Amino acid sequence: MFIRLLLLIVVVAFSLTGCAATRSGPSQADAKLPASTYANGSTTQSGDDFLNAEPQKGLDSGFDADFDDWDAPIKLIADPFEPINRGVFWVNDKLYFYLFKPLARGYGAIVPRPARVSVSNFFSNVATPVRVANALLQLNLTNVGTETYRFIVNSTIGVAGLFDPATSVAEVRRAPADFGQTLGKYGFGHGFYLVLPIVGPSSLRDGTGTFVDSYVGPVRYAGLATEDLLLVRVFESTNRLSLDRDTYEGIKRDALDPYLFIRSAYAQRRLAQIGEPVYNLNILQAPVFDNEFFNPLEWFNLWQ
Amino acid sequence: MAMMKKIIITMLLFFPAVPVFAQPDPLNAVESMVNSVLEILDNSSLSLAEKKAQVSGRAQRFLSIESMSQRTLGTYWSSATQEQRDHFTYLFTRILEETYLNRIDDYSGGTVRYLQQRVKDDRAIVDTLIIADELQLPVQYRMVYEQQSWRVFDIVIDGVSLIMNYRASYAEIIRSQGYNGLFRLMEERVTGMSTS
Repeated sequence: MFIRLLLLIVVVAFSLTGCAATRSGPSQADAKLPASTYANGSTTQSGDDFLNAEPQKGLDSGFDADFDDWDAPIKLIADPFEPINRGVFWVNDKLYFYLFKPLARGYGAIVPRPARVSVSNFFSNVATPVRVANALLQLNLTNVGTETYRFIVNSTIGVAGLFDPATSVAEVRRAPADFGQTLGKYGFGHGFYLVLPIVGPSSLRDGTGTFVDSYVGPVRYAGLATEDLLLVRVFESTNRLSLDRDTYEGIKRDALDPYLFIRSAYAQRRLAQIGEPVYNLNILQAPVFDNEFFNPLEWFNLWQ
Repeated sequence: MAMMKKIIITMLLFFPAVPVFAQPDPLNAVESMVNSVLEILDNSSLSLAEKKAQVSGRAQRFLSIESMSQRTLGTYWSSATQEQRDHFTYLFTRILEETYLNRIDDYSGGTVRYLQQRVKDDRAIVDTLIIADELQLPVQYRMVYEQQSWRVFDIVIDGVSLIMNYRASYAEIIRSQGYNGLFRLMEERVTGMSTS
C-alpha cells in the first residue's frame, strides 16, 4: 500500500535535481549524546551488508535529534524569491500537463517498458564520469571504485550500458553523486531555493552544480549540433517521465499546497544525500556494534 | 506449602511490574503491520472498498495518531486549544487515510526486508528495505511505545520524513493564514480527495 506513496515522494525528489541544507543536526547532537549511551538497542538482523561496515558514531545522533526536536521551528531552505518561484512552478505545472506528460504517455504507448528501462540504463551509464568525478572530489574512494566497477561491467556484459547486471547480478548499486552534493559535503548551504523552468526544484548551490556537471557528462562532447543535443535531452527526460507513475499527479491531489510539499521534500532529500546521517539513510553502512554487549571494543573500554 | 504459596504470590505480584521484558520487538510490530496490510492487498476476493475499510482498521492499531498530529503541528501544537487540536487530529487522520487508501489500487507487489531495529527506552527506529521492480527503497519507521504496544509515528522514505514534510507545509500555512485557514484548506482537500 505504501509503496505507491513512497515511490511518489522519492521520484519527486529524484526527478527534481535538488538542494538545501541549512542546519547540521548531527554535529550538535553528537555533542550531547556520546555514542555509548544509545547503544542499548539490539540488532535483530544484520545482513551480510553490515558485516564490512565501519561503526558510525554519528548514526544514532539522529535518534535523539529527531525525537526531541519535534517542536523546534524548522526552516529547511530559504526561499526569498517565493513569489517568482511560485510563478515558475505554475508555468512548469502547465508544461507538465499539456506538453511533457502527453508526450511521455504517447512515447510510453509505443515503446515497451523493458526498452525504456534500457534507455534509462544507457543514459545512466553514460553519465558515470559525473559520479566518478564527484566521488573523487568527495574523497569517497569506495564510490569511485563502485562506479568504475559498474561502468566496466555494464558497458561490456551489459551491452553498452543497456542492461544493468552490476545491480541485478552482482548487487552493486549505483552511487549517485553530483556537484551540488559535493559542495554540500564541503559545507556549502543551498543559498536559496530556486524553481527552474522545466527542470523544477533546485537551489543556488544545486543549480550551479547541475551546470558544472553538464560539462563533465560526455553527451556534450559527442560532437552534436546544439539542436541535436537539445533533442537528446528531451528524449532522456521524456523517457524518464514515461517510467514515472504519476508522482506529480499524486502530490497535486493530496498535498494542501503542492509547492510547499515539493519544496520540503526536495530540501529533505538533498539533506539526506549530503550524507550527514540524520536519517540514517544509508542503512547498508549501519554500525555493526549496535549493542554494547556485542561490541568487543566496549569490553576493553576502547569505545568512545 | 505455605512457602510455595508465597513464591507464587510473589511471582504474580512481580510479573506485571516488569512489563519492560514483555515489550514485543518494534521490528516485529512493523513486520506484523506490513504483513497484515499486505495480506488484505493480496486478497483478490475483496473489492476495493472492502480493502480500504480493512486496511484502515488494521493500520490504525499500529499507528500513534496523537503523536503524528502533535509532531505535524510542531510548535503550534502547544499554543493550540484542545478544540483546535481535536479538530486538527480529526482532519489530519482523514487526510492520511485518503492519501494512502487512494493508492491501494496502485499496489503492484514487492517484498520487504527487515534490516535492523534500534531501541532507546520507549522509542525505536526500525529500518526496512522495500524491493519493487528495479527499485530499492529504504524505509524507516519511527516508533513510540504506548498503550502496551509499539506504534509508528513517522515514516522516513529514502531520507524524506513524511511528518516533517507535512509539518513544514502546515507551519507555513498556519503562519500565513492562521488555524482557520489551515482547517479550511484541509477540509477542502478531504472533500476533494474522497470524491475523486
